[in-house]
Amino acid sequence: MDHLEILEAEAVYIMREVAAQFTKPVLLFSGGKDSTLMIHLALRAFYPNKLPFPVMHIDTGHNFEEALIFRDELVRQHGLELIVRRVGDTIRLKKIQEEKSKLPSRNALQSVTLMDAINEFRFDCCIGGGRRDEEKARAKERIFSVRDASGAWQPSEQRPELWEVYNGLLRRAQDDRGNNTALSPLERGSAAQGNMRVFPISNWSEVDVWHYIRREKIALPSLYFAHERKCIVHEGKLVAVSEFINIEDRDTIVNTMVRYRTVGDMTCTAAVRSEAMTMDEVIYEIEHSAISERGETRMDDAISDAGMEDRKMVGYF
Amino acid sequence: MEGEYRYSRFAGLMRWRVGARHDNKKMDILRFITAGSVDDGKSTLIGRLLYDTNNLKADVLESVSANAAINLAHITDGLRAERQEGITIDVAYKYFTTPNRKYIITDAPGHFQYTKNLVTGASNVDAIIILIDARNGITAQTRRHSLVASFLRIKQVVVAINKMDMMGYDEAIFKVIKNEYLQIAEKLQLPDVNFIPVSALEGDNISFRSGNMPWYDGVTLFEYLEKCEGKENAVNAEMRFSVQYVRDNAVYGKMISGTLKSGDVLLVNPQGERLVADKILHGYDEVLEAVAGQNICLFVNGDVKRGDILTRELNTLQCGQEIEAELCCLDTQNALQAGKDYLLRIGTAETICKVKEIICKTDNDTFETYKSEEPVSVNEFARVKIKMKDKIAFDCRRVLQGQRHRPGQAETGRGIIIDPETNNTSGAFIIL
Repeated sequence: MDHLEILEAEAVYIMREVAAQFTKPVLLFSGGKDSTLMIHLALRAFYPNKLPFPVMHIDTGHNFEEALIFRDELVRQHGLELIVRRVGDTIRLKKIQEEKSKLPSRNALQSVTLMDAINEFRFDCCIGGGRRDEEKARAKERIFSVRDASGAWQPSEQRPELWEVYNGLLRRAQDDRGNNTALSPLERGSAAQGNMRVFPISNWSEVDVWHYIRREKIALPSLYFAHERKCIVHEGKLVAVSEFINIEDRDTIVNTMVRYRTVGDMTCTAAVRSEAMTMDEVIYEIEHSAISERGETRMDDAISDAGMEDRKMVGYF
Repeated sequence: MEGEYRYSRFAGLMRWRVGARHDNKKMDILRFITAGSVDDGKSTLIGRLLYDTNNLKADVLESVSANAAINLAHITDGLRAERQEGITIDVAYKYFTTPNRKYIITDAPGHFQYTKNLVTGASNVDAIIILIDARNGITAQTRRHSLVASFLRIKQVVVAINKMDMMGYDEAIFKVIKNEYLQIAEKLQLPDVNFIPVSALEGDNISFRSGNMPWYDGVTLFEYLEKCEGKENAVNAEMRFSVQYVRDNAVYGKMISGTLKSGDVLLVNPQGERLVADKILHGYDEVLEAVAGQNICLFVNGDVKRGDILTRELNTLQCGQEIEAELCCLDTQNALQAGKDYLLRIGTAETICKVKEIICKTDNDTFETYKSEEPVSVNEFARVKIKMKDKIAFDCRRVLQGQRHRPGQAETGRGIIIDPETNNTSGAFIIL
């Protein structure tokens, strides 16, 4: 087996482990390449059956149109059960004041919507496309990562995780007599306190993802390939012109060939100048890039040294 | 291929044009762990490996070199608490590639109280780098890391004697440490131990041969890693198929070892029923034969459930309700007690169990065993008898003349113990 087959086998095993250990899992989907890969791996894991769990998009409302079209097409083609929960609804219902900056980010609010959705559907496990090579706090997280009832990650209290034996047990609400109702596999996941986040592609690097996508001929949103786009230059990064950002008079709008290396919110994902239109050209550029994936494209990580750790501690993916 | 058709319908959404044929280099994966304390230069060593192999991106370098001098150690300490205290608390994973292989580095903590995290990180590796500070020689921590390597049956051990630059690159120092360590290796039955004198800070014998130590004619650490063996190929071992998930008549599971052909008659363990493998799917393809390492979907003419292991008629798999095992406690809150109910897992199999008897414990420094019936507390190693409520299938090392390494049967010969009160993983064990 070569490295991609080994990584694929690992991810498929983890997906199946989720289906076997949890009663109500859900796969988180954003329309980006990693979550698209995850759907492909899940389809492969459960073929010839359909996915034994729905997919959920926590929609910030600041989407690239291409990503939404792609999402709906993917869902239609594979007969996926899609749940969409909108950050915009959370903002309206909870009367949250949105920040009024130049590039207003709904990144932090995503955690609130996610937790509400977890409680609404009583999901006991969220499968995410996080990779350990993305960021240094992610490099520390277990594949089965226990979160408490508020979704918070407690880095100091991670469970031991050995070999391919994954412990997905969650603490259940106590019964009337105050006894813990553990040991009954039937009750697993019922009224679970807290939930599990599972990351099947933890050990994949950005380049591994691309190589696998090329090999398996997995379709991606066109955003990942070079196209012409109107952008402003903000702190050295290209930010797409959209109704979601506040363009000032001093901003210069450039019309240039770009592609995206990651796809997130339009307000906090930067484009990369590129002419790469084919899979091979994109891979060549990424392999020869002097800058890391998130460093090149994410405006939200640079906030502080512990930007990601802090977000995970309040329920972030 | 169906795939082509499926994806061509996305033509409007993506530009799928494969350009020139890319060279499909076959790379494998090597997982290794670095054990040592920060003071030994462990993180510096990892930083050095990433840096020398061009696997550090410019912006990452910038974020760790805020005070001009590059702090290679800062690359791996991903948690705020770690950066504040200047120590590694939990396992971090780092990745780099060479044209031959993808490397997964497990950066593990050195301090005693985090041994449980070291065990987590070391459980999946093919090789361990034990880092020794040449100034201090072998320490209690070195012994602890070696004990973990022995407990987990890590196949390849390399001792990197670091900070040779601070000891004048003196061969005598290297030899003294090497000879002392060989005694540890013998006592712990560590196989295939290599020794390399290095300076992670200066780069001596890491990726480049050192001109400062002409007396050393062995490989550099990097050369050693490139030659290490990855995960054992268990294709030629006795067949084991572990049932992971069953939905309707589809049986999803993993080929742990050996080969399986459609039409084969199989034994369901531990029940002992026989059935026939009618059809095998690997991914989207129907295949006639499945081999070790593959996750497949099987259709059979009988009942199986998660936790079952399918084998051939003649096999060395054991089925029973009692095992003797080496056990390490990983629970900081509660010691493992004899007589208490726990959950036991071997692969996907699960049953309720009790530790029936604590036979003896291992002294962390001398590695001698001593009689003790006291509960096994965190980071302690003990030999125990475990009694299970249900019959379970497992592999047992004693059956094959006490061989330490048996490709393929390792996965069915080890497991974890879960405390049902907290759901925490309290211990890990290797069946003897």
